[in-house]
Amino acid sequence: MTALVIGLVLAACLVRAQSVQTGYSSDALYNLANSYARAGKPGMAILNYERAAMLAPDDADVAANLRAVRASAGLPAEPQAWLEPIERAARPATWAWSALIGVLAVGSSALAARLTARFRSLRRMAAVAGVALLGLTIVNGVIEWPRLHAAVVLVAGTPARATPAPMAEPLFSLPEGQTVRLLGEHEDFVFVQVTTGDRGWVSRASLATVVP
Amino acid sequence: MLAVPAIAPASVVNATLDPPVVTIGHSALLTITTLGTGTESTIMPFVGGLEFRIVSQSHRFETIKGTTLTTTTIVVRVTPQMVGTFAIPGLGSAGEPVTLRVDPDRLVANYSPVTHHGSNPVPVVATALAENGIHLMADGAAFVRLTVPKRQAYVGESVPIEIEVGLRSEFVTALNGLPTLIGGDFTLNNLSRQPERSERSVAGKPFGLFTWHSVIAAVKPGGFAFSVEVPLTVKFSTRPKADAQIDDLLGDPFLQNHFGPTVTKEVKVSSPATELTVVALPTEGRPADFSGAVGSFTIASDVAPATAAAGDPLNLRLHVTGSGNFDRVDSAMLRSADRWKTYPPRSSFSASDALGYKGEKIFEQPVIASQAGVQTLPALEFSFFDPATGAYETARSAPLTVTIEKSLADAALTAPSAGAPAAAAAGLRPDHAVSGAVASSLVPLYLRPQFVAAPSLLALLFGGAYLGLRGRTPRDHRQSRAVARVVGQLQAAARIGDSAQFLTAACTALQPILAARWQLAPEQITAQEIGMRAGRDGDELRALFELADEVQYSGEAFSAADYSRWTRIVVEQIAAGQSS
Repeated sequence: MTALVIGLVLAACLVRAQSVQTGYSSDALYNLANSYARAGKPGMAILNYERAAMLAPDDADVAANLRAVRASAGLPAEPQAWLEPIERAARPATWAWSALIGVLAVGSSALAARLTARFRSLRRMAAVAGVALLGLTIVNGVIEWPRLHAAVVLVAGTPARATPAPMAEPLFSLPEGQTVRLLGEHEDFVFVQVTTGDRGWVSRASLATVVP
Repeated sequence: MLAVPAIAPASVVNATLDPPVVTIGHSALLTITTLGTGTESTIMPFVGGLEFRIVSQSHRFETIKGTTLTTTTIVVRVTPQMVGTFAIPGLGSAGEPVTLRVDPDRLVANYSPVTHHGSNPVPVVATALAENGIHLMADGAAFVRLTVPKRQAYVGESVPIEIEVGLRSEFVTALNGLPTLIGGDFTLNNLSRQPERSERSVAGKPFGLFTWHSVIAAVKPGGFAFSVEVPLTVKFSTRPKADAQIDDLLGDPFLQNHFGPTVTKEVKVSSPATELTVVALPTEGRPADFSGAVGSFTIASDVAPATAAAGDPLNLRLHVTGSGNFDRVDSAMLRSADRWKTYPPRSSFSASDALGYKGEKIFEQPVIASQAGVQTLPALEFSFFDPATGAYETARSAPLTVTIEKSLADAALTAPSAGAPAAAAAGLRPDHAVSGAVASSLVPLYLRPQFVAAPSLLALLFGGAYLGLRGRTPRDHRQSRAVARVVGQLQAAARIGDSAQFLTAACTALQPILAARWQLAPEQITAQEIGMRAGRDGDELRALFELADEVQYSGEAFSAADYSRWTRIVVEQIAAGQSS
């Protein structure tokens, strides 16, 4: 009972902390991305669509416009993960609260088993539900992890170089709007990998991370 | 003198060269066909580096309508003495030259080896003074002249020199290598691989002249004498000297060496020694960034682009222009500067002369501005030693100003300026009405540390509580187990019809419970004690204990209903006792 009370108090504090006045809004990011798309800046548009998708992966408009801008920029479609329906089932905040409820359910079930032999079926159902909620949240985190370490190229023809130096040999060039995976960094350069598997060092100023 | 058909005004001359391209060590055949009315003689043109030898000559006379036409055909073997492209003038149908290209042999870089007549070439120093400081070989076949414009230089200073090699083609059959510097601690740099070719008359004799340009640089101070050496293959006449003098008087190269025995020898011809005093660079006043550049230089700097975003690399360039030892011209450019990230520079040199003595060296350094706004790149400096003034000089460029705008990543959350709608906007879904939901971060809530702390703390609390209760068995579990054990004993006694055992088990099970309730020892629980403490509420218990005493003696048997009734009473008392 004490743990439950503490959990609820913590949750209330987090709800209050999350409700900030300044920050990111999925709708505002989506509208900003639309503005950049209309202005003919696919890199900035894709970056803001990706950011909106972080907050609202279930928003069909965000996904549709992201696909449209990618296609119009001549970029290949991003590969679809088979676990993506889980990602789109709910927003990250919902998954967070689900995980908290899951912990409460599993913990309460375990404690109840210590305290009473009654309500065995109910306790088992609560434990299974809690584990399921926790598991789904973890899966959602696994799906979101690459996006947390992704960046969008903002400058057309950005060279990917063999070493992290401005005069290093260029290996290939990246089109504006290309989403890359960040593997490392050194001073003013980041080591990126594209969907084809090619890797190279790119000037930090030529791209922006999806999560600032 | 070679007598070949005259090229009369009415003559038609045709010359062919087969093959037009040869490698060194091989010959080409020059066929000259002249169609005319006479047989006047002419002299073959002199071409330095080519040896001409007549192989055959024929005449054919035809009379057509009373006019006699003469066709003269001369076949000449042309043997090159060095690689290059040679023009044999005045033989083409329109008077244009016939061209022979001579390629190097695959095994030799530039010059074909000739027949070797000894393990060591014979060194010959040109000593016979002819004119203009030219020292001919003793037999007058060649000369080598080294021209140095100054007699004093500084260590590291590049001094341009000129090497002239004059050859008489009738005596010198091959030039076997490039000139080399003999004596002195000098390095011979940038020697031109293909010499300039011309002709010169020295002491009344025609010489093919080969001129190389180069620069020398001294590596240590001191007084040095040095000369230039060139390997040659020379034909020596074995005729008596008196006969050779007659040949010389005739002046015809073909006659001179065609008639009379000759031998070839490899010799090395050297120029007279030249003295040069090398002075060490002064240590006083030497700038800290002096890299060893000696010469006369000016610098300028620029940066491109003039406007960039923060984080974008800019290209800062330093131009060093002038004359001197550009191989020692070096600059670290900006080692460090406030608000700038600098990288090591790289350089490139473009010479404005064949020697690399004059030109421009450009240093390019990538620099990255760390802050937006109008930024200034500090002035660049370059230090060198000027041999004209005999002092160190430091050239400075002007500071450069560039405008650095906010980086694209920083501007990502700023709305773009209105512009013409892009084609990509056609299929976009409309804007959303912005709700009040705002997140402090794009990181999912469940991955933020402050949120992860909540379920973690909860898990810890639950875990601690679970472990704290590990030693405790749930009360109803204990009750059920105790009741089950007693009921088992009672049923076992009932099954065999042993009423005494049944009642004894019942009393034994009830005694601890009642003793705990009344704070007594279990053996103190008797029928009398129960009657005193429980009153009328304990009638059934008291009866149970009294009956137990009686049955020990009477052996009274119970019915099934009795067993069931006493069993229910015992279970109720045990449950009541444990719950209290």
